[in-house]
Amino acid sequence: MSIIKLNEIPLRTSRNFNINNIKLENIEIPSKIEKFNNFKIINNNTNVKINEIKKDINIKYGVGDILINQIKDNSNINIEIDIEGKNKETIILEFELDDNNRNLVDNINIIAKENSVSNVIIKYVSKDNKFYHNGICNVTAQKSSKISITILNLINDLSDNFYTISNIINDEASVNYKIVDFGGKNSISNYYSNISENAVNNIDTIYLGDKEKIIDINYIAELYGKFSKINMNVEGALNDYAKKNFKGTIDFKRGCSKAVGSENEYCILLSDNVRAKSLPMLLCGEEDVEGEHSAAAGKVDAKQLFYIMSRGFSYNEALKLIIRARFNKVIKKLDEDLKNIIIEEIDRRLK
Amino acid sequence: MRQKTYLDEINTNMYDIKNKDNYEYKAKKGLNKEIIEEISRQKNEVQWMREFRLKALDMYNKLDLPTWGPSLEELDMNEIATYVKPKGNMSNSWEDVPEDIKNTFDALGIPEAEKRSLAGVGAQYDSEVVYHSMKEDLIKQGVIYTDMETALRDYEDIVKEHFMKCVPISDHKFVALHGAVWSGGSFVYVPKGVDVKIPLQSYFRLNSPESGQFEHTLIIVDEGARLHFIEGCSAPKYNKINLHAGCVELFVKKNAYLRYSTIENWSKNMLNLNTKKAIVEENGQIDWVTGSFGSKISMLYPMSILNGKGAKTEFTGISFAGKGQNLDTGFKVVHNAPNTSSVVNSKSISKNGGIATYRSLVRIMPKAKNSKCSVSCESLMLDSYSKSDTIPFNDIRTEEVEFSHEAKIGKISDKTIFYLMSRGLSEEEAKSMIVRGFAYPISKELPVEYAVEMNNLINLELEGSIG
Amino acid sequence: MSNTLLEINNLFANVREKEILKGLNLKINKGEVHVIMGPNGAGKSTLANVILNNPLYEKKEGNILFENENINNLKTDEIAKKGIFMSFQSPEEIPGISVMNFLKYARHNITGEPVKIFAFKEEIKKYMEELNINPKYMDRSLNVGFSGGEKKKNEILQMLVLNPKLAILDETDSGLDVDAIRTVSKGIEMFKNDNNAILIITHGTKILKELKVDYVHVLVDGKIVKTSSGELAQEIEEEGYKKYKKYDIG
Repeated sequence: MSIIKLNEIPLRTSRNFNINNIKLENIEIPSKIEKFNNFKIINNNTNVKINEIKKDINIKYGVGDILINQIKDNSNINIEIDIEGKNKETIILEFELDDNNRNLVDNINIIAKENSVSNVIIKYVSKDNKFYHNGICNVTAQKSSKISITILNLINDLSDNFYTISNIINDEASVNYKIVDFGGKNSISNYYSNISENAVNNIDTIYLGDKEKIIDINYIAELYGKFSKINMNVEGALNDYAKKNFKGTIDFKRGCSKAVGSENEYCILLSDNVRAKSLPMLLCGEEDVEGEHSAAAGKVDAKQLFYIMSRGFSYNEALKLIIRARFNKVIKKLDEDLKNIIIEEIDRRLK
Repeated sequence: MRQKTYLDEINTNMYDIKNKDNYEYKAKKGLNKEIIEEISRQKNEVQWMREFRLKALDMYNKLDLPTWGPSLEELDMNEIATYVKPKGNMSNSWEDVPEDIKNTFDALGIPEAEKRSLAGVGAQYDSEVVYHSMKEDLIKQGVIYTDMETALRDYEDIVKEHFMKCVPISDHKFVALHGAVWSGGSFVYVPKGVDVKIPLQSYFRLNSPESGQFEHTLIIVDEGARLHFIEGCSAPKYNKINLHAGCVELFVKKNAYLRYSTIENWSKNMLNLNTKKAIVEENGQIDWVTGSFGSKISMLYPMSILNGKGAKTEFTGISFAGKGQNLDTGFKVVHNAPNTSSVVNSKSISKNGGIATYRSLVRIMPKAKNSKCSVSCESLMLDSYSKSDTIPFNDIRTEEVEFSHEAKIGKISDKTIFYLMSRGLSEEEAKSMIVRGFAYPISKELPVEYAVEMNNLINLELEGSIG
Repeated sequence: MSNTLLEINNLFANVREKEILKGLNLKINKGEVHVIMGPNGAGKSTLANVILNNPLYEKKEGNILFENENINNLKTDEIAKKGIFMSFQSPEEIPGISVMNFLKYARHNITGEPVKIFAFKEEIKKYMEELNINPKYMDRSLNVGFSGGEKKKNEILQMLVLNPKLAILDETDSGLDVDAIRTVSKGIEMFKNDNNAILIITHGTKILKELKVDYVHVLVDGKIVKTSSGELAQEIEEEGYKKYKKYDIG
């Protein structure tokens, strides 16, 4: 046990701000990783091949070297998903941590071949005990492919969650993420996209922090191609003593003329003891682009609350309703079962 | 044509008058105990200040260079003379200022502005203030406006109570440096309830090559008083690096108001590592208006600490980074009491390979219930050789806040240029008009002469880069 | 001396490599009011933009003559200085430059003569009154936060102030209510005289009821397919453009 520094931002700012990285104390990184058996793969597409093979990891950022190296050396799940053609059925990967499968160190590689269309859900859940999750989702979207990826982190509040997402998005491809970041004692996530000409990348993330949870989100999008697009949308709520850092970087590289990037973060504060930090960076080396970001934080709108309560809802019910409404953008397109799981989780965490 | 006339009228070289390096005393280059002691001896200072300088030097030696922002590799303290005493003594009359120095300030229009629109003027040349004067009626009302050296002699208790209390020497390396070698600067005290209706201005001119300017500005606006203070700075361009590490400490008491305006046009061999901070008490207000045009590298983030209930701050700033410039500027605010509010409006323009960075801190402490903060930043890129970064850090530690931050980055739209050209403006005129409009929220906050000067600087900066 | 202001011969023009104008001819004399009508995408706005040489549009072939001078290769501001004005379909917003300062600057720039501030202010006030524009708008940033109708009235105000020889009004009437259309028409009436001319580009006919029109041109698929007197507008309002589309040989 010691202090580890994770999630370095791509361009440092004043050390006094304490935002360049996240320092975590008392983190146990298990050295012995046993086999992980409790997972399910659902794939009803004939054009999608899923193999359990280990791929080399070659990423630009990532949560932190110590964790990336653990995956390189010691992963207990190695999956490659090879996608061709247009696929109607959702591909689902589901992992459940339990007393026999305590540590999950997963290395997932997705290759969306040229012109392919697909939809992937990766779900992490757990039984109640202290477990550990450290994973990578590495995506290559080839020319003109379209892929939607939903990542659900619903593990318990005793366990730590570390997650790295890395995307290479080639010309005309479109990669859309929905990320539900609810679980974990500490949830540290890193996201990187390299975006080429006419390619589109959307990220919609919702987070929920309660108790003493630490959420550290570090999203980096580099726009290299002409007419490339990135849209980051992060919404969350913090309760009790939760801490959240949102670090979002949109980097317009020279030559990405007509690129468009936007980044929005909204954080609802539900307790006086929360701590919400944000660092929405726009880096720009190209004149002919449109970039914007916004960040906002505050209490739930009192007028809205009053309006809903006047219709007979309790304060707490009204609160949940408002938060659910804000999260709806991410939730609404999920299938009913998943949606219900998420809504239950919101209700449970907001008591 | 009005605008063109302005352009023709400006003597583009007025900032670039180089006088002979004609000093009474110039410290040896470099930084060590002996040099510090010699500066203190030259100034004939009280013991505690001499000790303070040495303590600051220790701190300087302990602290690291920043690990972020523009590279300061070029700065070699062994090549910088930290103290240059000009010939002649501080005077209350321009007549008594040595000829070459007076001519410089004449060219910069300072004595003229004093007659027209200022309540008082201070002028610093290299390390010492050469001129200080204020209108009679303000003296009668008890307003003090003088150079720091005089203040240290005549108002030692007030200085001792406030000096580097707002900006402690441990803040960062260049504050520590400042503490060790500070010289010159202005001291202002506005007594309770006094409203200084027209601005005071201090002008800082660095003439000596391979030297530094470390002026210290200390302003106390007592309860219910009001002041507008303007700071101007410039230097001729030399081939080697000059350093500016001034320090501004502002104390805004209960119900008091202070506006602090800066037009900074250092020459493009200057490293501008200035520190400015204000502590604001109950229902007081500090407004910053800042135009940054010059310097090779700037790291400048004025800071407001809102310590009293209902304290307010507004920051309105523009920076214009041209060829070879790396301007890392922004604002810091700490909300430390209930019902405090801050409004930030920042603009930056980069062209010809210039780098403009907006860097900021907004911190809302648990005590600051019902506080409000709104930030808006806009960056304009005039070509693709330049860079423009926005790095705003926000740290919210209480639920009872309204916080919002917005930023936009982009170029002048072709459609807008076409629209203006269809009204008979050439492409250059159209672009220049759009940039002036972009800067208007800042220039409108300045007294009219300074707004004109700022527009002139914009036009100068744009010349040759467009079309 | 010739009476011709604008003459366009066999004009071809592209927008982003797509051919929009395909051999357009048009002649406008002093003292005339012309109307160009046509379905969406026919090339009406393209024509206005090409006359003013908007760099987003590419002239492929043909000539544009203004007072017998070829203006094909002149820059937009040079064309404006020759005396052609365009009222924009969606006028640009310019933050930080007030309406008053802009008008003053533009007038000075076009005429090359000094602007007498006091008299000029009075002149603007008078126009604003006629056009029902709140005088407070004088000090507001150009078009910033203006409603659609206010922007269009502001365009007419600029036309009156700059007093061009030829005014091209690109969809100035679109999106306006009856009162606003009446006001805009009033502005046009104030402007019109025997020495200038107006080219109105529209897809509606409401504004034509307020104005006396000399010629109506139907523009379909990049060409003028019919030219006639004012009554043609009435017919189009009733029957649409279907009849003319067969002229499109493609």
